Amino acid sequence: MGSPFASILESLTRQRGVRASLVVDQNDGIVVDSSLQIGQDGDRVAALAASLYRKARLSAGAARLGSASFMHLEAERGRICAAGRNDLVLVVVADPAANIGLIRVEMMKAVGALP
Amino acid sequence: MSVTAVESWVEAPLRKFVEDARTVLALLLHPSGQVVAQSGFARAIDVMSACALAAAINASAGELGRQLDGRPFRGLHHAGRDRQLYLADAPTPRGSFIVLTVFDQESSLGLVRLYFEEFIRNLAAAAPTSPRPVEPVLEQHFEQDLNKNLATLFGRG
Repeated sequence: MGSPFASILESLTRQRGVRASLVVDQNDGIVVDSSLQIGQDGDRVAALAASLYRKARLSAGAARLGSASFMHLEAERGRICAAGRNDLVLVVVADPAANIGLIRVEMMKAVGALP
Repeated sequence: MSVTAVESWVEAPLRKFVEDARTVLALLLHPSGQVVAQSGFARAIDVMSACALAAAINASAGELGRQLDGRPFRGLHHAGRDRQLYLADAPTPRGSFIVLTVFDQESSLGLVRLYFEEFIRNLAAAAPTSPRPVEPVLEQHFEQDLNKNLATLFGRG
């Protein structure tokens, strides 16, 4: 039986420039399900991205900006995007040249499908 | 976060682990329950009880793993309301150690496990190549060694 997140992850991984997509437990930073290209360390990405997302959410709350809906980290060799719902975070790792607007749209659609 | 160690080679790897994983408490001990290094503990009595409990839990979990899976379980995680613990083995050329890590909402199990892998690599690399002389754990030695180690860790040596 396939994971309930398989179709969500497939739709994200189909986007050009996406190297990995993961559903991660926000509190534990543990991978719930993932779709990874060869060479991607899912556990590492999950732990760090969930930690970043949690802190971004807390920071947004502390700054009275309301709840955080989307986080985007741009680095020299790639990008990390995260969006969460309840206790789950959807994480995407993409190439620097990936179309982040398109990825964001797909992620926000996918987040709505998370339980 | 201060780190104190009975054996100085464990200090740098443990300090890095504690800082990276943002632990509240960390304890490195021999499987017999003898403390080797600690971080975050204020009282010797707390270290003593944590070492005894960690060694007992590790021995039970190890045996349970051997019976169920043919080998000891690799790591043990317990989640409380505010604090969680992660207990795992750290094999080195100097022998195997047990690491007890306590963390709160500042960290996560994923982060602790991630940096723990790095920690055991660093610990193994820092370990002196000569194995520690294995002596039988006798009641009179145990208490004497325990008191000596606690005195070293808490500045009463």
